[in-house]
Amino acid sequence: MLNQKELEKYLSICMRSEADFAEIYEETESSETIKTLNGKLEDVNHVLVQGIGVRLYKGFNSVYGYSNETDENAVLPLLAELVDAIGKKEDGPEVALQEVKYENRHPVKIDFEKVSLEEKHGLLERATDAAFGEDPRIVKVQGTLLNVNQKVQIANSNGRLIGDTRVRTRLMVDAYSQEGDNFQSGLNYNGAGMGLEFYETVTPEEIAKEAVRVALVNLQARDCPSGKMPVVIDNAFGGVIFHEACGHALEATSVSRNSSVFCGKLGQQIASTCVSAVDDGTIPNAWGSQNIDDEGNFQKRRVLIENGILKSYMIDTLNGRRMGMESTSSSRRESYKFEPTSRMSNTFILNGDAEFEELFEGIEKGLYAKKMGGGSVNPQTGEFNFAVREGYMIENGKITYPVRGAALIGNGKDILWNIDKVAKNLERSQGMCGSLSGSIPADVGQPAIRVTSITVGGTANE
Amino acid sequence: MNNQKWIDYALTQGFEAFEIYQLLEQTKAVSWFEGQRDSFVTSRVLGTSLRGTVNGKLANYSVEDPSDSNMEKVIADMKAQAEAITSDEEAIIRKPEDTDKVESIKNWVKPSNDEIIKMLALVEEKAKNYDPRIVQVAGISWEETKIKRVIVNSNGMNVEDEGYAQLIFAQIAAAENGDVQANYKVQIVEDLSKFDVDKYIDELCGETVKKLGATSLKSGQYPVIMEKGAMTTLMACFTGMFSGDLISKGISPLKESFGKQIFSEKITVIDDPRQQKAISLANYDDEGCPTKEKKVVDKGVFTTILFDSKSAKKMGAESTGNGFRASYNSPVNVAPKNLYIVPGDKDLDALCKDMGDGLVITGLMGMHAGIDFVTSNFSLQCSGYWVKDGKRDHSVSLITMAANFLEFMKSVEEVGSDIEWSYENIACPSIRFTSCAISGE
Repeated sequence: MLNQKELEKYLSICMRSEADFAEIYEETESSETIKTLNGKLEDVNHVLVQGIGVRLYKGFNSVYGYSNETDENAVLPLLAELVDAIGKKEDGPEVALQEVKYENRHPVKIDFEKVSLEEKHGLLERATDAAFGEDPRIVKVQGTLLNVNQKVQIANSNGRLIGDTRVRTRLMVDAYSQEGDNFQSGLNYNGAGMGLEFYETVTPEEIAKEAVRVALVNLQARDCPSGKMPVVIDNAFGGVIFHEACGHALEATSVSRNSSVFCGKLGQQIASTCVSAVDDGTIPNAWGSQNIDDEGNFQKRRVLIENGILKSYMIDTLNGRRMGMESTSSSRRESYKFEPTSRMSNTFILNGDAEFEELFEGIEKGLYAKKMGGGSVNPQTGEFNFAVREGYMIENGKITYPVRGAALIGNGKDILWNIDKVAKNLERSQGMCGSLSGSIPADVGQPAIRVTSITVGGTANE
Repeated sequence: MNNQKWIDYALTQGFEAFEIYQLLEQTKAVSWFEGQRDSFVTSRVLGTSLRGTVNGKLANYSVEDPSDSNMEKVIADMKAQAEAITSDEEAIIRKPEDTDKVESIKNWVKPSNDEIIKMLALVEEKAKNYDPRIVQVAGISWEETKIKRVIVNSNGMNVEDEGYAQLIFAQIAAAENGDVQANYKVQIVEDLSKFDVDKYIDELCGETVKKLGATSLKSGQYPVIMEKGAMTTLMACFTGMFSGDLISKGISPLKESFGKQIFSEKITVIDDPRQQKAISLANYDDEGCPTKEKKVVDKGVFTTILFDSKSAKKMGAESTGNGFRASYNSPVNVAPKNLYIVPGDKDLDALCKDMGDGLVITGLMGMHAGIDFVTSNFSLQCSGYWVKDGKRDHSVSLITMAANFLEFMKSVEEVGSDIEWSYENIACPSIRFTSCAISGE
């Protein structure tokens, strides 16, 4: 990492320009992906990322440059190019940095880099054995263990110098089931902002057994009917609905450019009164948590919606300037190869007061989406889509048979109004969120909710 | 990084073979918003990926610190990695082979910063003035990328090539009576001074305005045409089925289909990494294996499995030169490069005329979620327009299409002529299908 003197020198060079703000983000990241097929170790990929990203602002305008080379011979030409691009000046303020120290909210016990590959392979072997042991119809099991350790240092022309270490781990199991010609798969994963101690609380066996359960249900599943119907979306990854349909449209990236359906709606009712939602980057050791955001501001808990009323957007500094609002510490990026922008952290709908069983009452024909897959949204139009990974038909208030191949589509601004019941079983789940500033870990979550009407895209000709 | 020093050291540490892959990527991007330059991004990143074999087992490692001071630790880590592999698959670091190289015929002319800014301002102005219903013009940008790729190994391999591309991008939204429709367009621009800005704006804005007032459709089975862009997007989701790696692992839906009729006999699929019309070409794959043109599907029959070295060895075949890395630090995997469906004779208008009444699908969304690769079932949000009596009628949105890809590709009625190579390394013409399940109202 660059030392304080070097950073002060470089920032001072940046400020001898039309820029009113300069920032140097530096990063080293060590990551390891371990893959097994039927328990045998197939591939290991170890990646060491390191580099700097330098950003200068002038009003709403920004220039950004990045490189993996951090020695002076490479940095000085990069700075010169950026200063030229924003407008050169003869003089500017000398930057003096003050390092900010704080207590780490996300301590790690077992550093993956200090554990042998054999031991890490052992975690995947345990998952594989558990999967095969569960049912003879399981014919193939893929396991993936991902471990990441990212260290960042952020220095800016306001004199702030601050660092953070972000550690995360995730274990994923793909179980394949077969009965005659019927070949299906079930996926499950779990992770946290922790070291390998995570697998003492959530075991590889538990993760595998859940993947097997889904793969077996899919063997029995029938094609899903199509059309508009009430949908009960269960907890945990079901929260992807809120993430895609509403979360992205509450990011300043969209709001500041007037390209969100929620522009100008602060303080207004945007959802049914049973909906309250937060984006909380401070939860200890959560998958989407950090001590500081990628502009060096302490992470926060942001109340987005309270009883249906829009309370806050998620804002980074530059977009905040456009909006005339303060940053909410929501600036994130995948790596130094991306200019940061407003992003989610751990985003979820809070518990409501309905009993789980109540959600099914009165539904003549509907869909119970027990597990959701991923999805996407167009923030400009609010249109979203997402896949149902494990679904069941609801007939006359009862769950009747499993269905496969269902997709849910709709518009974010409508769906928030159509949530009429929120249960009490809030859980979070770990996803990777892709947007302008790259792919970042983010938790989604919710208790089970009922949406009165969503378009279900299915494959059955009904 | 002293390549020879790393290779020599690795060999003394017990590696049978050792490879260094380096990708130097330099980019420049300029974006424009509301009458001024919004951002300027410049970068230079050298990524180094190392591979080595011990007893036929492969270690992968990527570094961005180009100094030699990490050498001993990295090589030691790699050795431990190779020794931990328990899979029976045998990896190969290739020997160099002779090949006739082709040079790109693209004639890139690099514009000055002033020319770029003037063009971006012009795009914004023309888009805003195109139609009063265009309410937003955002994300106008210019991007240039230059890459240099080098592969050297202990078997005497030493190949390199360079690539360059530049493109313009714009994103707009149109609104009417509370309905908002968004659209974007990416265009490869060889020479900015010859860029037809009016045609670009007409295609971008014209299509967006037409989408206004789109309605859903009653659920049912309808005749469909997949317009070239949507067809390309759909095909890209399923090219993995031709992968020798996924076939050998039993995960590809074509695992038992080699030599069999898999698509309609109207479909021929070619993979040609040396295709001159594509945005980039490759004389070698990322293992240094020379590339060649292959008929993957010939009149519907699956005739070529795509292989990298490892999957070829496993299935007793030769690499087809399809070992590519998704990024410099991803492992080598089987991937197509410049794969396309051979076009037919009729343009889109003629396909619509032949269809009479039916749906043209122009956009697909949610590809990372709505695809079940193993069964080839898909259920995707889509949009497009309704065709009545062979002519474009009203726009359609908020619907999904669902089918089994293999079944769908057997129900081809006609293949269009309108193939267009864009920024992707896959291209398909518009295709008319008998029918597809559409969910809407």
